[in-house]
Amino acid sequence: MKTSFVSSSAISQAMRYQMMRMQAELVEKQQEAISGRVADPGVALGAGVSRTVSMSRDIERLKGLVDSNKLASNRLSATQDALGQMSAIAQNLLSTLTSATSDVVDSDIVREEAVRALGSLTSILNSNLNGEYLFAGINTDVRPIGDFSDPGSEAKAKFDEAFFDHFGFSQTDPAASGITAAAMEDFLTTVVEPQFLGDGWKENWSNATDERIVTRIATNETAETSVTANVEGVRKLMMVATTVSDLLAGPLNEAARGALYERALTLVGEGLADLGDVQAQAGVAENRISDASERITTQVDLFRKFVTDLEGVDPYEASTRVTDLLTQIEASYTLTARIQQLSLVRFLP
Amino acid sequence: MSLTSALSIAQSALLNTSRQTSILSRNVSEASNPNYSRRSAVLTSMAPGARITEIRRATDEVLFRHNLASISAWQAQGAVSDGLDTLQLTVNGADNATSASTALGKLQEALQLYASMPSNRTLAESAVQSARQMVQSLNQGSAAIQTFRSDTDKEIATAVDDLNRLLADFERVNKEVVAGTRAGRDISDALDQRDTLLKKISEYVPVSTIKRTDNDLVIMTDGGAILFETVPRPVTFAPTAAYSPGASGNAVYIDGVPLAEGSGGNTSASGLIAAKLQLRDQVATGMQRQLDEVARGLITAFAESDPNGTLPDAAGLFTWSGGPDIPDTGVLIDGLAGSIRINTAVDSAQGGNPELLRDGGINGNGYIHNTDGAASFSSLLRSYGEKLDEPMDFDALAGLETTTTLGAFSANAIGWLEGLRKDAASGLESKEALATRTATALSNATGVNVDEEMSLLLELEHSYEATARLIRALDEMLGTLLEAAG
Repeated sequence: MKTSFVSSSAISQAMRYQMMRMQAELVEKQQEAISGRVADPGVALGAGVSRTVSMSRDIERLKGLVDSNKLASNRLSATQDALGQMSAIAQNLLSTLTSATSDVVDSDIVREEAVRALGSLTSILNSNLNGEYLFAGINTDVRPIGDFSDPGSEAKAKFDEAFFDHFGFSQTDPAASGITAAAMEDFLTTVVEPQFLGDGWKENWSNATDERIVTRIATNETAETSVTANVEGVRKLMMVATTVSDLLAGPLNEAARGALYERALTLVGEGLADLGDVQAQAGVAENRISDASERITTQVDLFRKFVTDLEGVDPYEASTRVTDLLTQIEASYTLTARIQQLSLVRFLP
Repeated sequence: MSLTSALSIAQSALLNTSRQTSILSRNVSEASNPNYSRRSAVLTSMAPGARITEIRRATDEVLFRHNLASISAWQAQGAVSDGLDTLQLTVNGADNATSASTALGKLQEALQLYASMPSNRTLAESAVQSARQMVQSLNQGSAAIQTFRSDTDKEIATAVDDLNRLLADFERVNKEVVAGTRAGRDISDALDQRDTLLKKISEYVPVSTIKRTDNDLVIMTDGGAILFETVPRPVTFAPTAAYSPGASGNAVYIDGVPLAEGSGGNTSASGLIAAKLQLRDQVATGMQRQLDEVARGLITAFAESDPNGTLPDAAGLFTWSGGPDIPDTGVLIDGLAGSIRINTAVDSAQGGNPELLRDGGINGNGYIHNTDGAASFSSLLRSYGEKLDEPMDFDALAGLETTTTLGAFSANAIGWLEGLRKDAASGLESKEALATRTATALSNATGVNVDEEMSLLLELEHSYEATARLIRALDEMLGTLLEAAG
């Protein structure tokens, strides 16, 4: 008859098993104390892992959005800068033309000013950022505006042809001095305007598309993040710069010049207002982008916090546990050694 | 009564003591053998003196049965846990680095960046590169799953062979027990061996036993199929050398009855074989189906459409063996994850043009969206990104939510596996603890305590000393008698 019996092998087995468990836990807790994250999130969270997985993925995607927003806002600020320069040129032109109408300035000076404006406008419209033409719409790999002063320029050829068709002689022909103010008015309205403000613009002048670059600036929001050379303001300024610089090269009489100045003044004024609108639109887009980036950054922070809440461990708790386990394992070693010595055999003579 | 009979009693006492000592020393020598049951001699009074009539072997039927059941459950759970860990590591990778979900996230990022700067050919190249990695993740995942299945199949075959060999051994030992019982021999060693074999058999299949006359044992599985009755019943299995997705493996038959596989992460399976069957047919197949559905979702999301609406939609960036047709909506296609690939028209490594991703026209000019060839045309790229974020239909066979976005679906696939792993880990902990506890309890009931044996040895020493003194006294008395007579 035996009461409460313990077998020798059970004693050592139990000790071994406990030891194994503690050592396995020690490895785990040590890792947690160092990384601040559960040793095996899969086992700790189970099916909940799908949430942390998709959140971590979202964090990466959102960070990507912030980066691509930076690209778009770089483009927009370069565009803003270009638009500002264009306005300044228009302002100069405006003051020159105003002086010209009151006959203070010589027509040659006006013409020089217009030639300069045309050159600057063309070069600004053709400005380039990271290999993309800023004002090309979505056709960013093609120069949006051709050079009017280039002998091979299509725009120049078309303009000359139109003048010749209308008047029967070229701009520099002495007969040009006979053009009346009314004839000039008529020429500007019926022939030149369609070339700039109508379909002729895209045929002769511009390679840009009306469609602008659309960028995803947040997961559910897109914005137009470029300006095209086809906006009204640009066309009007180009028309003024072209007509003034080109027609003044010929022997125009005073009345015709007056009509030309008159029309140019109106157009520059309108063009300036239009450019202002475009600048405002670009500014709105810039604002939207910075707002979106800010929102996304907050979202990323929030997601990070969620992930940490789910996967994180308190490193202090983990390290306390490590210390506890070490103490326990040491105690267990001591116990094992003592129990091994605890044998009746040692006490038998 | 006489001095002679007293002497003979003393003699039998000496004999008993020495036999008891020999049993005791055997007990001590086997103290650390977990499969050894403690023996004790049963003394019966017989005129004249006492004799050892029986050597009793310590047993506890109930504990032994519990121990067998807990061994089966623990083995099964261990196999399921290991299998899940292997799958997690080979398919999803450490920290899910090689999972379809991670690859999809990278692809979305690359597309987004490309859409923000469509004129940049390097970004087109990097978007195609991440598409390549996506395909690689699916192809390799699918291959790893099928390798896992065929490996598991081989392990099942080995387990079945082991089981048959154990049953053959069991037949030999069982015969010895029956014959020994009939002849009235000490069959303790044979019984020890038989119990050891039973423990080993229960590692493979869950067993219950019926004891018949002469200690003959019948083994049945939990399902009621007979494993052993006088002779071993055949356990048969036809291995499959190579697995392809959708192909099903063969069942294990015990005496013609198919063995049921387990289910769940904290598995209902008992014994190694049922657990391996579960891994091969449920877990691995489930994962394969999920990957197949991710592949189908990708092909559908990146399908090209005709901007004029006349031509049928065709497989775009991703295509498959059935391309350029698009797989049917919401219907699983077995093995799609293995056959999905990048369309050669887009793959620069195969002479394709990555910018077709921006312009359209992978399937010919009828599909070109960017008709003017504008360098910053982004609407098609954005539409791919948007399609990936739209919910789509998935086959319920994949065992996950059926209407969700592709990203969420692939994340759920990870969640599905990790859910199983969590259940398996907690199951393993409790089943391991149970197995250890029942083993300890059984060992406590039937094992040897060296200290106890030592104290018994002291008793035996005393009794031997007493007997020896008795004999000396009798010797003196007989001597005195002879002297008086002489």
